[in-house]
Amino acid sequence: MRLSRALWWIVLVIAAVFYLVPMLAMARFAFQRIPVIKLAPDNIFSKWTIEPLLNTFADPDFRQAALLSVLLAVATAVATAVLLVPTMVAAHLHSPRARKLIEVSAVLPFVVPAIALVVGFAGAFRNTVPFFIRNPVGLVPLYMITALPFTHRTLENGLATLDLRTLVNASRSLGAGWVRTMVLVIAPNIRASIATASFLAFTVVLGEFTIASLLLKNTLPLYLAYAQGQNPQGSFALGLVLVVLSTVFVALSNRFARSVTT
Amino acid sequence: MVAGPSKRRARHLAFVPYGAFLAVFLGWPGFYVFRSAFAASGAERSPMIEAVTGQFRGSFVYSLQLSFISSLIGLLIGSAVAIALVRLQHVRGLRNVVVGYSSVAANMGGIPLAFAFLAAFGMQGLATRLLREVNIDLIGWGFRISDFWGIVLVYLYFQIPLMTLVLVPALDGLRRTWHEAAQSLGASSRQYWQMVAFPILLPAILGGFLLLVANAFAAYATAFALSSGGSRLVPVQIRFFLQGDTITGKTNLGYALAAWMVIITTALVIGFQLLARRAERWRR
Repeated sequence: MRLSRALWWIVLVIAAVFYLVPMLAMARFAFQRIPVIKLAPDNIFSKWTIEPLLNTFADPDFRQAALLSVLLAVATAVATAVLLVPTMVAAHLHSPRARKLIEVSAVLPFVVPAIALVVGFAGAFRNTVPFFIRNPVGLVPLYMITALPFTHRTLENGLATLDLRTLVNASRSLGAGWVRTMVLVIAPNIRASIATASFLAFTVVLGEFTIASLLLKNTLPLYLAYAQGQNPQGSFALGLVLVVLSTVFVALSNRFARSVTT
Repeated sequence: MVAGPSKRRARHLAFVPYGAFLAVFLGWPGFYVFRSAFAASGAERSPMIEAVTGQFRGSFVYSLQLSFISSLIGLLIGSAVAIALVRLQHVRGLRNVVVGYSSVAANMGGIPLAFAFLAAFGMQGLATRLLREVNIDLIGWGFRISDFWGIVLVYLYFQIPLMTLVLVPALDGLRRTWHEAAQSLGASSRQYWQMVAFPILLPAILGGFLLLVANAFAAYATAFALSSGGSRLVPVQIRFFLQGDTITGKTNLGYALAAWMVIITTALVIGFQLLARRAERWRR
């Protein structure tokens, strides 16, 4: 019995090593000013500096890209909440079949790979509404769709715990209109779900490369890819920061998600 | 609450924004891809046929090979991790840590991941260097992070946790009481696993496999950042076609490639959904 337990521990340890090594390597490359060839046991802890990261932060291109990405992420999160919450509340109040229909529709984005979506979008909108292609705001609907499976599931989990019909009936019978009911009654009750969905939307937008790349919009992941030439250490450092940030976001959203279902 | 016709119409109104949104930003692009893919551009053959014959057949084969192999290995290792979690479930907090990290790693991809692997296993990589210290010369053996097996290695980073995340709930569904019941009927542990547990887990395992394949097949950013090896993959080829700086008059071919991608991914996702529904049966 003890042997088999040890075996499973070995599996986990090997997996852990596989997961940590690339991250450590990325950190080492980013923050240590010694080329790999010259690495030796005696200088392994020397010449560590966060200067490459600071150089990146000082780069005006970085600031522009970061600003764009943050704005897009916020817009995606807000637009998703505004579009999905009323729709899903309506579905819950309507019938289980409506709920199912919305659920199936939220899985559709998995079926269309990002590359197919963006070439179709570019082709379709180029000759009709080129505004969406020229202006970065066109990225928002595409990002909403990319994040849809995750945001929908999160909001669904939150709404499922509420006694929606009672809340709505009570609110309406006290004279509140639909908008007031949504904003003042329902939304506060699914606060955690909305927060989780927003974190997920953030993570998606900060990591999304395909769509922005093909539409030639200068978002943060694009900056990451193209700054590699000029400032390799800095861009690797930035990559590491993004990974840490995504980890924090996912951890926070998991924490929120757990508080929803308890 | 009896709803008259006008009330019913008002209720349906609530779904219009969402429906319109999906139609305009998901339906229309999809429709455009397929319409362009089937449009005869005066060339001899329909772009859809040409996309899967000749030089592009190699791309699809390459993409699918990459997806299948990374998914197969991901399935084996991911299952091992999931089983390890079950066998070691008495360790407090272990499961939360592993599942938590898996959900981060499963969504990781794109540029930072490619960077990390370049830093670790590239020509000037840290791991490459460390392995050379113990006489394992990866570069000398012809291993390149930008070649097929290099990309498989990188894809494993998110394939393994995805499989783990799919399998852990399925393993939860296997109740201890079943194992005890089987034993009280005289079955050995091995017989239990072979004849009871495995058939129950099979839909989840197969479904997870299909999900992994779809995931790998659609991946673009990671392959793009690893450049040379990635250029033979279908998503990257679509980009070359439609970024405009190559052969003109053949853009329909790019759309055909995209259309085939959608067809393949749809088949995989439908397969996954059907299997997931079967796997769900055991969780009630």
